[in-house]
Amino acid sequence: MATHTINRDTSIPAEQSRTLQDVTRPHVDAFNFMIKTGLDLAVADLDPKIITDRDGHKLTVWIDQAKVGYPRVPDNEARRNPAVFPTECRERASTYKSDLHVTLKWKVDDGPVNQTERKLGQIPIMVKSQRCNLRDLSPTELVANQEEAEEMGGYFIINGIERIMRMLLLPRRNYVMALDRPSFRKRGPEYTTFGTMIRCTRLDQTSQTITVHFLQDGNCMVRFSYRKNEYLVPAVLILKALVTTTDQEIFERIVGSSKLDSFLTDRVELMLRSATDMHVHNSKQARVFLGERFRIALDVPEDMSDEDVGRLLLRKLMLIHLDNDQDKFDLLVFMIQKLYKVVSGDCCTENADSPMNHEILTSGQLYLMFLKEKMEEYLTACKAVVAQDLRRNPEQVSFSAGSQYFTKSLSKNPVDIGRRLEYLMATGNLASATGLDLQQVSGFTVVADKLNFLRYLSHFRCIHRGAFFAEMKTTTVRKLLPEAWGFVCPVHTPDGAPCGLLNHLAAKCLVVDEVADASRVPAMLIELGMAPIDHKIHYPSDYLNVLLDGRIIGKLAPENAAQITAHFRYRKAQGHKDLPRYMESALVLPSERGQFPGLFIFTSLCRMVRPVQNLIANTVEYIGSFEQVYMDIAVLEADIVPGVTTHHELSPTAMLSVNALMTPYSDHNQSPRNMYQCQMGKQTMGTPAHALQHRSDNKLYRVMNPQASLVRPQGYEDYKCDNYPSGTNAVIAFVSYTGYDMEDAMIINKGSYDRGFGYATIYKTQIVDLAKLKPGNRENSKPTLYFGTVRNQREVTEKQVEADGFPPLETVLKNGAPICSYVDETTNMAQVVKYKSSEEGYLHEIKLIAGEGSDQRAQRAIIRFRLRRNPVIGDKFASRHGQKGVCSQLWPSEGMPFCESGMVPDILFNPHGFPSRMTIGMWIETMAGKSAALHGVVHDASPFVFNEKSRAVDYFGEQLAKAGYNYYGSERMYSGVTGKEFDAEIFMGVVYYQRLRHMVLDKYQVRTTGPVHNLTHQPIKGRKRAGGIRFGEMERDSLLAHGTAFLLHDRLMNCSDYSYSYVCKACGSILSPMLEQATQISGKRNVKCRSCQSSKNVEIIAVPYVFRYLLSELLAMNIRVTLDVK
Amino acid sequence: MDRQQPQTGMYYICGSANCRARNELKQRDAIKCTACGYRIMYKERTRRMVQFQAR
Repeated sequence: MATHTINRDTSIPAEQSRTLQDVTRPHVDAFNFMIKTGLDLAVADLDPKIITDRDGHKLTVWIDQAKVGYPRVPDNEARRNPAVFPTECRERASTYKSDLHVTLKWKVDDGPVNQTERKLGQIPIMVKSQRCNLRDLSPTELVANQEEAEEMGGYFIINGIERIMRMLLLPRRNYVMALDRPSFRKRGPEYTTFGTMIRCTRLDQTSQTITVHFLQDGNCMVRFSYRKNEYLVPAVLILKALVTTTDQEIFERIVGSSKLDSFLTDRVELMLRSATDMHVHNSKQARVFLGERFRIALDVPEDMSDEDVGRLLLRKLMLIHLDNDQDKFDLLVFMIQKLYKVVSGDCCTENADSPMNHEILTSGQLYLMFLKEKMEEYLTACKAVVAQDLRRNPEQVSFSAGSQYFTKSLSKNPVDIGRRLEYLMATGNLASATGLDLQQVSGFTVVADKLNFLRYLSHFRCIHRGAFFAEMKTTTVRKLLPEAWGFVCPVHTPDGAPCGLLNHLAAKCLVVDEVADASRVPAMLIELGMAPIDHKIHYPSDYLNVLLDGRIIGKLAPENAAQITAHFRYRKAQGHKDLPRYMESALVLPSERGQFPGLFIFTSLCRMVRPVQNLIANTVEYIGSFEQVYMDIAVLEADIVPGVTTHHELSPTAMLSVNALMTPYSDHNQSPRNMYQCQMGKQTMGTPAHALQHRSDNKLYRVMNPQASLVRPQGYEDYKCDNYPSGTNAVIAFVSYTGYDMEDAMIINKGSYDRGFGYATIYKTQIVDLAKLKPGNRENSKPTLYFGTVRNQREVTEKQVEADGFPPLETVLKNGAPICSYVDETTNMAQVVKYKSSEEGYLHEIKLIAGEGSDQRAQRAIIRFRLRRNPVIGDKFASRHGQKGVCSQLWPSEGMPFCESGMVPDILFNPHGFPSRMTIGMWIETMAGKSAALHGVVHDASPFVFNEKSRAVDYFGEQLAKAGYNYYGSERMYSGVTGKEFDAEIFMGVVYYQRLRHMVLDKYQVRTTGPVHNLTHQPIKGRKRAGGIRFGEMERDSLLAHGTAFLLHDRLMNCSDYSYSYVCKACGSILSPMLEQATQISGKRNVKCRSCQSSKNVEIIAVPYVFRYLLSELLAMNIRVTLDVK
Repeated sequence: MDRQQPQTGMYYICGSANCRARNELKQRDAIKCTACGYRIMYKERTRRMVQFQAR
């Protein structure tokens, strides 16, 4: 119940806020990982390309190094400061990018290694990442560079638009998951619904998913996909190919000591037999067998042996997170064991939709995967150029030492990786040959909309389940699961189509971004009592496997597993130097039909972790979503059970996201109201940015007189929301008055409106690009248009535009007014671009942008308009409790009710909005706001502060009473119309009101007559084109049912496609009567029926125009319609 | 061809954060600050009287 005064310090802080920087941390650090280590790892993993010429010389090409520079202008451009800052890209609608250089090395046979540096284009750079020119600037320096003082980065600037790579949920890496999926049956006739799946990830973050399927006869098949094709290989083949072993050995490894389990032994036996059927008896045969079949798919050099191809397959596609074949063998055995256990029902399948089995695809990861693939493609293209030359003119190809052939061939390969990445960022479409082991091809990026601060923050915390799940008919994926506690916010998800698929990270949840050194973890466990893996010893089958990042490192005796794990955790919580800070260790003990047991340790990237208090070590420990399920964490002090509880939440609000934290007293509201508030908070017009004049966003909304809220949860302070205020502390009376406040309408005091309540402005940007306006435009052609005017131009003489071709700033623009004039050099004719909006605007700003490259003339002008959007009837407002309403009247001040002290409320709110919605938090805010205003303080509105013992009503009631007001916040009021005192006391106080961006001016649609469709002559649709709203079948039905024939005729005929038509009464056709040539004397034109050859029976009738069209269509099908006209 | 242009230059402000030099720009001039070489220019606010309807 903290109460304090508003911080009025408006100076630029010396340092940026850590909490705010943490919001974008998953993005920025993921990108930094790519720059720091990821790129080198990816390059190291690229296979050299080998090509043999006709003389048998082998040319080997590989990329040795890739480097990303800092954004700067091209070297030939003379400029005082060559560094490009994000603000420049935003303003000139360009991309914030820097050079990507690779060192290409090649050698012929075993000759000397040559190298050359190639520039592969400019790749987009994340703002505030290690390659950004803003990376270490202080707030003062940031402001000097036209940025926000608290700039957080985490986004890319593509064509001047800030775009974010969405975080996506992926299956947890390097963990074997048991699944029961009906779709598994579709793989073939014998396939069952059971399988174990593992998503293996290399150090460079590229992944490969492997699934082991259970077949009805007991056999196991390994499924993997490569370049979007699926392959199925018997598991036993892979087992045999991996290590030199015997059938007996494989049998014993899988079965272990449970030899009496005939279910298991029968199936393993059968599996081993199937290898013999393929005539594969030993390890080499297995590799050759695989190599023969995958030779084409893997696209290997011709001289590679089958066995080497087999090896390559195992290395590149099988359990790629492990380097060692023995480890791969052990893990595959583990997968098969788990599969049999699941099939026999000894352990359960796992939920692929649970956050427990999830990790996050971060921007850096996707970026790196894509970049790696494109570099691979570049190498392939280098090879392809040579291969083509070898086919077409082999005499030119020479790999000899003095020959410049290869360097020349490189220039024939104009690969621009930068453009590909820019396309990915700009559209969110993944143009990839391999699919990158992802389930979707589009929707990877979104615009970081700067509507208000909350919306902006939410973009960075948003996690999507994947586009694939959006079309699913079942709703199980959308379910809120208890495993999500503390990682995914239960409140902050939209209602409607994306509900439960588009979630947000809890405020304190992190995505692991440090590459951890886990090399000493096995030693530590052995010291604590783990039995190391030794292939000579067969441990009893009830011994638990210990897996470190998907590698089996040892066995634990079940009886002392719990103790060892507890000790292990204690050391980690104490910050032992050998144990990574974000390590996750979950002990799954054997249980009846429970999860497959084992000790699972994860140190990998991209996992969700969050801080909790460790009660034993008494430190703050980071825990993961997998281990949390097996931990005892108390939420409140009172929940602690001695001897059981090991951890304690840092705060009961730990489960909430940044946005959900902002709802005052949210624990007093009915839960869906808090969900609505999370949406409405993001639709509020606020203060989008401080550097408004240095942005060229298409549309920016801005509230003119925002205030710091008087009642605010702790989140407001933590996330510095006062820097970007978005509402007004409004005096509000809960009274039903005038009848204009029915159904969530609210009445605004006209006096408040006149004093500036809810005033807002929209900034719109229009880019005039001369290169695109030019007729018959071709790229790279010399520009011939320029901004300017010619002599005696009408717009100049009328003083609408000045000599430079633009109107003076602050000109009032009405529809059709010129906003820019340009001249064609070749014809010396001027043309104007017109202002196209029925809404009056002001010319706010004009920026001239130099053309790209050598041409320095203005080819683009960025023109910004300012639209006044003060509240009008029909605009939407909301308090912070999911209580939205539409302004129904601007009621004159003198007609408003007033209280005894003469105060007139700003807003009248209808109390009927409460009984069904139960937003008690809004009542508390009303009282708290009132007392805050009276005492000149600010109240803390964090949830879970008040309870039944210390009640909010009492706390604020006391304060109101102290200020001389009614304890419960109600007041005696008088009618503004009659002056009579109301019988009832009216609840009145101060509530923070937000103006939402939905405004009637953008939505109203009305027409009497207007544009019609060419073919049907019916009104067109679409608000933009002044179209109508469809009067559809159901509407027609209701008019029919009411028998309102006149209205029906009016809607469907008069206001639609009313037309006159000639009809021939004799033949009944409206198509056959035709106008004849006018006679020269009278000029009168006669209508004659073509089929009757007479004009005697032709009359005029009124028909809908489409009817005529219908008849023509029918005629085309040889159907004649006869009208019975009398 | 009528090559005569209205030769009165208009004033533009350099968009670079730490320059803000006032440049006179004629039609078809390069958009490049004479002081620092920056490539964005803001049109200067008019000196003409601007009057809004205050209603």
